[in-house]
Amino acid sequence: MTATSRVRKFNSMQAREARLAWLLITPVALIVFGLVLFPAIFSIWISFRNVGLSNLNDVFNAPYVGFANYTKVFNDFAFKYHNITNMGAAITSIVYSFVATTMAVLLGLIASLLLNQPFKGRGALRATFLFSYIAPIVSVAFVWRWMLDPKPSGVINYLLMSANLVEQPIALLSTRGWALVMVILFDAWRYFPFAMLMILARLQAVDKSLYEAAAVDGAKSWARFWYITLPELRYVLGAIFLLRLIWTFNKFEDIFLLTGGGFGTKVLPILTYEFSFKLFNFGKGAATSMILLVILVVFMVFYIGFVMRNIEEE
Amino acid sequence: MTARTEKMSVIDYIAHRMTWGRFFFWAGLLVFLTSVVFPFYWMFASSFKTGAEIAGRAPVWIPSEWRLDAYQELFNPNWDRYQNFGRNVLNSAKVAVPTAALAVMLSTLGAYAIVRLRFRGKNFMLNSILLIYLFPGVLLIIPLFAMLAQVSRWTGIEIQDNLSILILTYLAQTLPVAMYMLSNYFRTIPGEIEQAALIDGCNRFEVIWRIVLPLAIPALVSVSIYTFMIAWNEFLYAFVFLNSRELFTIPIKINTIFNDPSPRMEVVMAASTVMTLPIVILFFGLQRYLSEGLSAGGVKG
Repeated sequence: MTATSRVRKFNSMQAREARLAWLLITPVALIVFGLVLFPAIFSIWISFRNVGLSNLNDVFNAPYVGFANYTKVFNDFAFKYHNITNMGAAITSIVYSFVATTMAVLLGLIASLLLNQPFKGRGALRATFLFSYIAPIVSVAFVWRWMLDPKPSGVINYLLMSANLVEQPIALLSTRGWALVMVILFDAWRYFPFAMLMILARLQAVDKSLYEAAAVDGAKSWARFWYITLPELRYVLGAIFLLRLIWTFNKFEDIFLLTGGGFGTKVLPILTYEFSFKLFNFGKGAATSMILLVILVVFMVFYIGFVMRNIEEE
Repeated sequence: MTARTEKMSVIDYIAHRMTWGRFFFWAGLLVFLTSVVFPFYWMFASSFKTGAEIAGRAPVWIPSEWRLDAYQELFNPNWDRYQNFGRNVLNSAKVAVPTAALAVMLSTLGAYAIVRLRFRGKNFMLNSILLIYLFPGVLLIIPLFAMLAQVSRWTGIEIQDNLSILILTYLAQTLPVAMYMLSNYFRTIPGEIEQAALIDGCNRFEVIWRIVLPLAIPALVSVSIYTFMIAWNEFLYAFVFLNSRELFTIPIKINTIFNDPSPRMEVVMAASTVMTLPIVILFFGLQRYLSEGLSAGGVKG
């Protein structure tokens, strides 16, 4: 290539456009790659080292320990199954995120079917239903703690006792078994509006003539739901389920604020946090987060595969 | 006689209109409405109760008086056990407003480049930025902490108790979704207007400033509110990076009040109300812009 042609290439419209594009995107790229991608890779490195508070300032010279962090976390914490109320962090995580997500999507489906009917005040009701999702996590978590309080003035225990379901107030958030149930209920309550919104958008796009044709054929409302609505929603339900599953699996705050991760609710994000910022064993913390990531990648592959396949279909 | 027939007809009317389907429909709505609204009512009502009402033998459904004691404790410097909550509100604003402003600015430039300009690696860039949105924050906090400790050793910049560092980490969390929402919006703006402006001799920055931005105002509003909300609500990073009470943001302060050895629920509820109110007002006021962004993942979580 001669010098002139190189100059011409440098000044060509296309090259100028590409340079401008890189200039515009550099700040975002720097922040995202510097503060997300690089740390993510660095985390793998840390998980094979012994990093504590004392050598945190000199982390690049931390001693190599092989798979020691992994075997320790794996055998003693993540997969150590005792019984149904003490399942080990990885299994707790999976149970918690699957059940909570299923409930959130089901509640979202019911809410969206109700709100898809025309009636006065529908818009206001739809906005109100979103409250639990948009409100700050700290405030709603503490209201739940206060409602579930085992004091006689705790609302839920009071109602349970008035209905003669229990005799004594139960410390619902600090009893093994109950705590996990409550955390799951909390998440179903908090995240159903997300599913509701997505399903509602899809419902409004369903071809009305399908229902008219079914009505002519004498289909009952249950049959219309089963044979028309549900097939039309199949794709959006799957996508919401996987997305919520990923997000719930990553959740730290909800459980941390409700139970502190105790009483059988210790999920992988909480375990990661405890290793790193309570015990200051960053190596084990990183190893825990890698176990979390591996499970997450499985979900992500499903998600991407699912979304891609359906985009091609449509 | 007329009154009686009238009454009959009302019952008739209800009996006629109320089918099982309708009954379940309204009952279902009522259950949803109660379970969503009640916790917020309970937060609000509890913030006006006395300690005795909080710890009584049964729940107090309506506080006996609209007492402002809990709010006084949060905001009034002459109150004993004054919490100086105003400072925490200010800290949260100091973090959330710059995060929102920077996220909108940077993502406008980035999203414009992705949508309008041709360059190699563009799809890779967009996809990897989106993928990052599925990443857990708790995974990144360890390496970030170690990395920033290292940077602090080299440069002498304090990384803990530094609100700018917090803003930087929030930017990393909010930029992906901001890029995604804005690039979706930019795609709906026809490119011909910009082409015409370019032919008339505007450069790209003038095009962005004079044509794209004015057209994209709804999207810019919703992106800035979402990023503001993410930063305003964020707990984990603030919890790890802030040690000094002077710099606590609202979520960390509420957590501290709650974990006091003798917690007073009315104060926690008052602080929670103060934190929730701006979000709810903002959302209700700008609902039209916002519900679309919500399904695009505006609030991660």
